[in-house]
Amino acid sequence: MRRVALIVLRAVLGAVFLYAAYTKLRDPWPLFAASIDAYRVLPEWAVVAVARTLPWLELALGAVLLIGVWLRYTSVAAAAMLGVFLVLMISAYVRGLEISCACFGPDEAIGPKSLARDTLLAAMAIGLAVMVRRGVAVGR
Amino acid sequence: MKIRAILLVALLLANAVFADTPARSGRVLGSAVSAITIELYSDFQCPSCKWLYENTLGPLIANYVGKSRVYLVERYFPLPVHAHAKEAACYACAADRIGKYEQVCDVLFRRQDEWSKTGKVDETVCSVLSASEAAKVRALAKDPSVMAEVQKDMDLGTKNRISGTPTMVISHNGKSYQVGPVSFGVLSRLLDSLK
Repeated sequence: MRRVALIVLRAVLGAVFLYAAYTKLRDPWPLFAASIDAYRVLPEWAVVAVARTLPWLELALGAVLLIGVWLRYTSVAAAAMLGVFLVLMISAYVRGLEISCACFGPDEAIGPKSLARDTLLAAMAIGLAVMVRRGVAVGR
Repeated sequence: MKIRAILLVALLLANAVFADTPARSGRVLGSAVSAITIELYSDFQCPSCKWLYENTLGPLIANYVGKSRVYLVERYFPLPVHAHAKEAACYACAADRIGKYEQVCDVLFRRQDEWSKTGKVDETVCSVLSASEAAKVRALAKDPSVMAEVQKDMDLGTKNRISGTPTMVISHNGKSYQVGPVSFGVLSRLLDSLK
């Protein structure tokens, strides 16, 4: 049962990361940079660095989660990444910024729906990391 | 007759020479034949719109609109959560009708903190107008055609799935991108990438 749960968790998270990467890579990278900049937490050089690298990181993370290799590290990386995204989104929401969450392209505003979804995803990633740490049998 | 003909020719020549020079006509700025069009959906009561107005709009106009690279159209999109935003939009639209859009837009953003709390939109707007201009703007702000113009922008925003303000809809080569409150440095990278 736990093994099935683990496979479902990494499949869902892997697919989400792959889709997130796709929605960012299909547009010019400065469009994603603009979405990051709207959060007003990073200087311009960091915005550019994140915009150029994050979609590729999401792509790689999604792929390895789906394949099921290095789960001890990738599950923690996924939990950390989603945790950071969630904190940034909550911070923007609390500050009253009516901006795009930049989760899956630039069209979705930060609001109760996107916050609930990202909370669920972060919880799933934490659950995956905990299960892997406890030594639940993994695909490879 | 000759003088009239000469004046007409001079006017046509001047128009041809300065065709690329952006002429501000209220909330529409720049040359309509620019490669990039930006429609800016904004709410006078929204703090991020004030931030964009104060930090990004000036350099955008100077570096892109002024060089005929961008055609800028400002659109009213007062959000229902902001109690006085629609009234402010109607006043700005009324001011546009008498050629005072820039002054009114500027004072509404500059003194946003005050009128957002007090609701004194009329007083804020009229502080930058002469008595006769204020009377015209007051009357126009309640004119059904002004309200219809604001509503038209709001409907267009809803149709374009605008979910927050400020939102810039950047159109280029048949493609459209939506951008929020962005700094000029990052926005210029985006505009430069659209070739």
